[in-house]
Amino acid sequence: MSRVELIEAEQAPLLAKPYYAADGSASPLTRVLAQVPELLEATLPFVNRVLGETAVDERTKEIVILRVSALNGCRYCTDTHTVAAWDAGLSRDETAALCGTPAELDERDRAVVEWSDAVKATPDAIPEDVVARAREHLSEPELVELTLVAAATAMLNHFCTALEVPVSEPTRARLEAPA
Amino acid sequence: MSTAAELQEAIEAGTVSDRLWLYTNYHCNLRCVYCLTESAPGVERRVFDADQMVRAADEGKELGYRSLGVTGGEPFLMPYMPEVLAQLAERLPLVVMSNATLFTDKVLKRMAPLADLPVMVQISLDSAEPDVNDEFRAPHNFEKVVTAIPRLVEMGITVRVATTGDHNTPAQLDRLCELHLSLGVPEENHIVRGIVHRGRAKDTGMGAVADHRQIHPELTLTADGAFWSPFAPTVNGGRLDTDLLVTRQRFPVEEPTRSMLALAGANPDGTDPSLNLRCG
Repeated sequence: MSRVELIEAEQAPLLAKPYYAADGSASPLTRVLAQVPELLEATLPFVNRVLGETAVDERTKEIVILRVSALNGCRYCTDTHTVAAWDAGLSRDETAALCGTPAELDERDRAVVEWSDAVKATPDAIPEDVVARAREHLSEPELVELTLVAAATAMLNHFCTALEVPVSEPTRARLEAPA
Repeated sequence: MSTAAELQEAIEAGTVSDRLWLYTNYHCNLRCVYCLTESAPGVERRVFDADQMVRAADEGKELGYRSLGVTGGEPFLMPYMPEVLAQLAERLPLVVMSNATLFTDKVLKRMAPLADLPVMVQISLDSAEPDVNDEFRAPHNFEKVVTAIPRLVEMGITVRVATTGDHNTPAQLDRLCELHLSLGVPEENHIVRGIVHRGRAKDTGMGAVADHRQIHPELTLTADGAFWSPFAPTVNGGRLDTDLLVTRQRFPVEEPTRSMLALAGANPDGTDPSLNLRCG
């Protein structure tokens, strides 16, 4: 159960209505943000732009999002982005590993995970070897983008965890379905 | 273009109202059958602080709103209302809605300065037949209203009579007009308002179903945020409706004004304004 009301489509404020689908559906995050429509109007375009399709490939971004969410213990973001990561091409074993101790990763993915871990845990003291491996595999614009992805994810992790935003039914169904 | 300039343009074009509405509170000493806000004694008060109302008037005037509307709940349940109305009317002309049941000698004395200010007191009177009026509003309401109106008129305060609903036949409406004329309220100060199918009217099966495309935009500030119209911040089953919420943010008033203008401008061609619902 969420700590706050999830606004149904018929009660969606005027500025929030465009973020609900024609059938009235909307993500739990959208339905929570609809409580403050002027902030929904600012937050969702930002989140969708940063976490959505950009120059960096979707698979790499989902690695960052899932890893940071798992480290922050955010149930909503971890579950939601486990499914999103599958859709982006990660295997069930890979998503499970990102939520624990990643083992079989290629060098680039490892550099991305190490960078994500450092941004989450010690952004003021990122080890030089982690910086070096990130720079070896990522361009500067990619590094900027993935750092923003990690930071935005951390913000959402805090928000969704504190308010106990529930996972959507479609996501839950995907998670519970046989592989 | 500045928000103030956009507002002026929209007011001139008739796409938004020039009136800024303030909901003073939600509680009331009556329990009318069609009340949009389910107002009654003992409900959550949702008070809009007096200082903030004055701030809203200052900022509203600066932006280019040309008048104020003050409503509730029953505004005169707030003990400071006569003096606050005077402060508001020193900034912009206003209409305040009241059930006129709380106008004791003491309150009327404090209202005396309003006679020299651009204030109109809008009083509900739904029928010339006491029983019919009281069925909609409250026992003995008719008697209190017809007592209060001449006293206000005598003080030099402009009174407007508002009849809510379309239940009066032409003959009944004629009798109602005779009544308000006899109380000192001229024909131009009598309005008949529609009921919107929201709030308690939803439970009693009354009023017209309308969404924001049929309700004229009149920015309305309440304790809970800024709404599309005075018909918008309704309560049903004790729950505040948010479907016509514009922003939670009220100040600076420019912010909800900007959002209202954007929403009003987003109404596509073909929007049906036929109901043209306005509060007064």
